Amino acid sequence: MGSSLAFASDTVKSIHTRGQLRCGVSEGIPGFSARDAAGRWSGLDVDLCRAVAAAVLGDPARVKFVPLKASARFPALQAGQVDLLVRNTTWTMSREVLLAVEFPAVLFYDGQAFMVPAELSSTPAASLQGPICVEKGTTHERNLARFSAAHGTKVEALVIDSAHGAAAALFAGKCRAYSSDASQLAALRLQAPGGAARYAILPERISKEPLGPVVPNSDPHWGSVVRWVLYTLVEAEERGITRATADRAVPLAIARGSTDARARADWDYSVRELGLRHDWAVQAIRAVGNYGEMFERNLGAGSPLRLERGLNRLWTQGGLMYAPPLN
Amino acid sequence: MADWQIYLTLGIITAVVIVIAFDLIDMAVATMLGVVIMLLSGILDESDFLKVQGTAGGVIALLFGGMVVARVLETSGVFDTLGVPFLRLTRGSGRRYLLLIVPTVAVICAFLPNAATVVLIAPLIIRAAQALGISYVGPMVLVAIVSNAAGLLTLVGDPATYLVGTAMGMTFPQYIRQVSLGGLLAVLVIVPLLPLLMRDVWNTRRELPPTGPMPRLQRPVFVVLALSVLVVMVLLFLFGQQLPTDIGPPAAAILGATLALLAVQGLRVEPVSETLRAVDWKTLIFLGAIMSLMQALEKTGMIQGMSLRLADWLGSEYTLVALTLLAAVGLMSTVLANIPVVAASIVMTKGYFVAIEAVPEIALSGQFTEWPTAALPVFIAMMFGGTLGGNATLIGASANVVAAGICAQQGEKVSFARFARYGVPITIAQLAVATLYILALVWLF
Repeated sequence: MGSSLAFASDTVKSIHTRGQLRCGVSEGIPGFSARDAAGRWSGLDVDLCRAVAAAVLGDPARVKFVPLKASARFPALQAGQVDLLVRNTTWTMSREVLLAVEFPAVLFYDGQAFMVPAELSSTPAASLQGPICVEKGTTHERNLARFSAAHGTKVEALVIDSAHGAAAALFAGKCRAYSSDASQLAALRLQAPGGAARYAILPERISKEPLGPVVPNSDPHWGSVVRWVLYTLVEAEERGITRATADRAVPLAIARGSTDARARADWDYSVRELGLRHDWAVQAIRAVGNYGEMFERNLGAGSPLRLERGLNRLWTQGGLMYAPPLN
Repeated sequence: MADWQIYLTLGIITAVVIVIAFDLIDMAVATMLGVVIMLLSGILDESDFLKVQGTAGGVIALLFGGMVVARVLETSGVFDTLGVPFLRLTRGSGRRYLLLIVPTVAVICAFLPNAATVVLIAPLIIRAAQALGISYVGPMVLVAIVSNAAGLLTLVGDPATYLVGTAMGMTFPQYIRQVSLGGLLAVLVIVPLLPLLMRDVWNTRRELPPTGPMPRLQRPVFVVLALSVLVVMVLLFLFGQQLPTDIGPPAAAILGATLALLAVQGLRVEPVSETLRAVDWKTLIFLGAIMSLMQALEKTGMIQGMSLRLADWLGSEYTLVALTLLAAVGLMSTVLANIPVVAASIVMTKGYFVAIEAVPEIALSGQFTEWPTAALPVFIAMMFGGTLGGNATLIGASANVVAAGICAQQGEKVSFARFARYGVPITIAQLAVATLYILALVWLF
């Protein structure tokens, strides 16, 4: 099944011409975007890239992953070196407004936390003293200062160039704690000398970090493509459609058993307007599974990180993952 | 864009430049051919032409308006009248004539759009050259080159300086303090080269006829109307953007052209179609086509994408980055329209500073102005490269194309090589002076 590009956005047309989606990811954050020894990428961010490639091109393998430092991610997006940025990026007003970008949806609800040596695991975050490592070029330093001011704590930020550098500084005892997104701390804890059990992540969250994909705001249709691919994966979980049963997702708008001709027509018009393949939803789910499958494989019980779903549960289960109607 | 399309874009632009340089095909036809190939290969599409309207539309409207007003002024006979005192000031000396052109054009172009100034001042320059019995090609090239360099004198002197200046958050006085001296040096360095590059003109001595009565104006009412249109247009160039309804230079030029045509028809001077026939459409078509090629180059993202490479290669060596940008942007601007090159270079430079973590990521926004002092020479180097590089060749700046178009209309064709004979040595000298100026800024900051 092919796609008609008559109405497609500039970005979708470019991706078709190139035959490849260029996706900006991290240089290596386990669970989100990391390369194994064979050079194969995996992670939640990587899976979203593959799902979008499957929806647009019909092949999840047609993605070029571009590893980017935190400071290089927005210059790369602005220069058009990547079509899509999925790199643990927090959705904030200033980023969206000032950098002329769009965050189509939230992929992972995170929060800034503290990782400390296991012997401090029962210490309240507000009682931490001494230098606390943070990564340069992130929002973490500002969040830490705000938390410190609010609780009158005597902490000072020790700014380190990279996430790995900050973790290494904690492991070497150069700082009392390392403050970053909880998910990132969990990932870096796996690399701790002596094993992950030697370090604990405190339960407090000092910020809201809704992480999501980012696209330039100059092409609203492209933002729509990314948004609806992600929501399709969430909707698929809600409907119980899995990688194995992806064919049932044709099309999701009428999968409730309805024979509503209007809904079918609206779905077809939308697909054509976005320049997607007619079977894009099936392709996306077949490529990476539903949102729940993605989470479990990369971050949850099926992964070394073993993160709780927490806020990332479906709305029907007390979480925040909620897809608007796909019709 | 696919890789093959990026290579094809670069190939087409290179081929167009070569074809123009060796005068194999008319420059307007060559650029149109390039655009057609890009259309057929899917590099450009309809949406790109909408974007080109945004970039080229302003320049073309400005030139169209300037050309119409210049034609109407010429028809009124005002240049014959003004030409007399201008010629008297030369005292029959080619040297004085050339030395007169430099400050006159520099002062006007410090405030008015370059290409429009070239259109408006050309009749005076050409008449004086004809009276002195010399070719007007060299002096017209000089007008174009001085107008480009003089654009550096003030923040509003050139679209490229305005783009970079506002990206840096510079105020008008701040610009005067930090950049204008460099612009002045770039203008002054032209003067010692004139006896070498324009020897024939420089050595010319002519006995001027004794001062007679000023030529009588045939239609005084028309002259008053034509001059009023010019005054309104110039005032709008200077202050139009401060009016409650923002009237930028292109809108001011269209307004001037409309009033001028109204005067022509109202006073039955000549048919409006005759006035419009005098517009240099070939130059306008060339500019529209070359801006379309620039749109394709912008789509490749090559210039903007250099930010990360620059960060990888040169790190925080600001002096090296500044000199690299001066040379690279200067070289690109020799054959590419400087506005799109500078616009893309601003994205690149901001991206570079964010990538090396000298500024926060918010610096990529147009609102950010808190640049560290050490960053200023880098931006200024890019500005000088973009503005001065365009002086080297016929197609490097719209003022050059316009000057050549006027010469062709008057009967003397300016080839790519002929322009480069003047342009290349002057550009080299200007970029050398700019290098010293940038080094001085680095030392000061």
